[in-house]
Amino acid sequence: MGTTGRKAGFWMPTLILLVGMLLFALNLLIGSVSIPFSDFIDAVFHNADTTSRSIILEYRLPQALTALLAGMGLSVSGLLMQTLFRNPLADPSILGISSGASLGVAFSVLMAGSISSIALSGMTWWTTIGAASAAFVGAFLVLLLILAVSTRLRNMVSLILVGIMIAYIASSVTDMLKFFSRKEDVHSFVIWGMGSFSAVTKAQLPFLASCIGIGVVASFFLSKTLNLLLLGDRYAENLGVNTRRSSMIIILVSGFLTAIVTAFCGPIAFLGLAVPHIARFLFRSSNHKVLIPTTILIGTDLALLCNLIARLPGFEGNLPINSVTALIGAPIVIWVIFHRQNILKK
Amino acid sequence: MTEVIRTNGLKIGYKGMALFPEINVSMMQGDLVALAGPNGAGKTTLFKTLSASLKPVSGEVQVFGKPLPSYSPSERASLFSLVLTEKPDDLFLKVADIVAAGRYPHLGLLARLHKDDERIIAESLHTIGITHLAHRSFISLSDGEKQKVMIAKALVQDTPIIFMDEPAAFLDYPSKIELMALMLMLTRDKGKTILFSSHDLDLLLRYSDTMWVVAHNRPLVSGAPKNLINDGIIDTYFPPIKAKEQFFWMNR
Repeated sequence: MGTTGRKAGFWMPTLILLVGMLLFALNLLIGSVSIPFSDFIDAVFHNADTTSRSIILEYRLPQALTALLAGMGLSVSGLLMQTLFRNPLADPSILGISSGASLGVAFSVLMAGSISSIALSGMTWWTTIGAASAAFVGAFLVLLLILAVSTRLRNMVSLILVGIMIAYIASSVTDMLKFFSRKEDVHSFVIWGMGSFSAVTKAQLPFLASCIGIGVVASFFLSKTLNLLLLGDRYAENLGVNTRRSSMIIILVSGFLTAIVTAFCGPIAFLGLAVPHIARFLFRSSNHKVLIPTTILIGTDLALLCNLIARLPGFEGNLPINSVTALIGAPIVIWVIFHRQNILKK
Repeated sequence: MTEVIRTNGLKIGYKGMALFPEINVSMMQGDLVALAGPNGAGKTTLFKTLSASLKPVSGEVQVFGKPLPSYSPSERASLFSLVLTEKPDDLFLKVADIVAAGRYPHLGLLARLHKDDERIIAESLHTIGITHLAHRSFISLSDGEKQKVMIAKALVQDTPIIFMDEPAAFLDYPSKIELMALMLMLTRDKGKTILFSSHDLDLLLRYSDTMWVVAHNRPLVSGAPKNLINDGIIDTYFPPIKAKEQFFWMNR
């Protein structure tokens, strides 16, 4: 498929990469504490031992890196789901995967809080891992359920309705858990639920980075299978794909990515849905050898942009990241739906 | 001549219910075999069984003298290629992408196309006469063009056997003739063995070497088109056609 998108093959990714680097720098530069540009240069390049330096390195750098990693993870996860379900509206939050992960986190945080009196606010290394595994179990179970349903319902609207219903069930169970939990735990759970890239500490970053790295590398190895699945199950099987096993692997990888990001940053909506569409429209391709790398680049750009907006001067502290991703992501999705219709009419 | 496919006491169907009595047929290399019968008689079921996506109710399918289940999925990918009635519907799939996918069984884990693969793809596009469509998006094509793309994909897959389920459906008359000429070329010049289905009796009688005629609950009858007409098989399996024809002649 080397012939696809050769014209746009070089300058477009370079541009997206440059935008990403600019956004990353802005993420370090702009925040609730205003740091003059000269201080910024001093702090970053001259090792000046100032408050600015510690704000940038201890607070803004981990947050920017987290945004970058979460953007990658969610976007790739969304792409895998859209291809697996052959459904342009599939995404971790719409299909209820994020809610499953949230339920997992709720179980681990709220129940652990009531049982062993460890609050999320005092989250240690091991409770983080515990929350991440619980999120993974929750996400994975919902994905399995969705997959089982999708073999019966080939209709894309029904599948999404089922996903939304699953999300409702998961969130109502979460609400019940909240009801029986301690106030401090509920408070920190609610804050977690709004989504934020700032909860990841410097010490946790390597763990988050390696998890996302594993998921992303695995998805590169899935691109052959994903391309074949686009042709439909029977063609894919004829071309040597074991559809059942491949679906399982794709679910594992995308569930893993969603769960990890959700555990650390909260359920973040719309990134996973919108980014693969932007990649398809920009590169006019559905070849995963093109889509996976470009989805990663665009995903980091968009996450960094959202984080920047959430932290614009004038907002005390951070806006919930979910309000920003939805504000940017939802119009993109509406545009995609209209644009698809135009393409189909041609 | 090599025997490509043989069925022994094959019964096909779903959930243990057989659609026809036992099927005992064979296909030789280079044969253009037509599967004829009314809609809903089980033509697609037979395709699914022969291409291993459906288990037979009883009996077995042999491919090159070995039972079908003894081939692994990847081995099967180099035995036969499919052209199905359902078509990919992704918005951004390009013709080149779909045809290249036919090459995937021959590629490594990351599906990198080598010079040879690129050459084979270019050759198939040329053979089918769709080189000019390579960079078009698949969903923007006409039904006839889509059909050609799927055939190019099958060709690139480079398998001795090609199964085509209703390849002529939705095609206008010139495209049908073009398609049949293409299939004759593939069997005569490239030594492919092709099984295709259609309910266009005229097309089948005119172009196929062998016909397999099916109807619900009747045994599958195999033979040369001429013999099937002379033996009255066509008349008994396609009664509406006969009635229509008589009506036509009487009212001329």
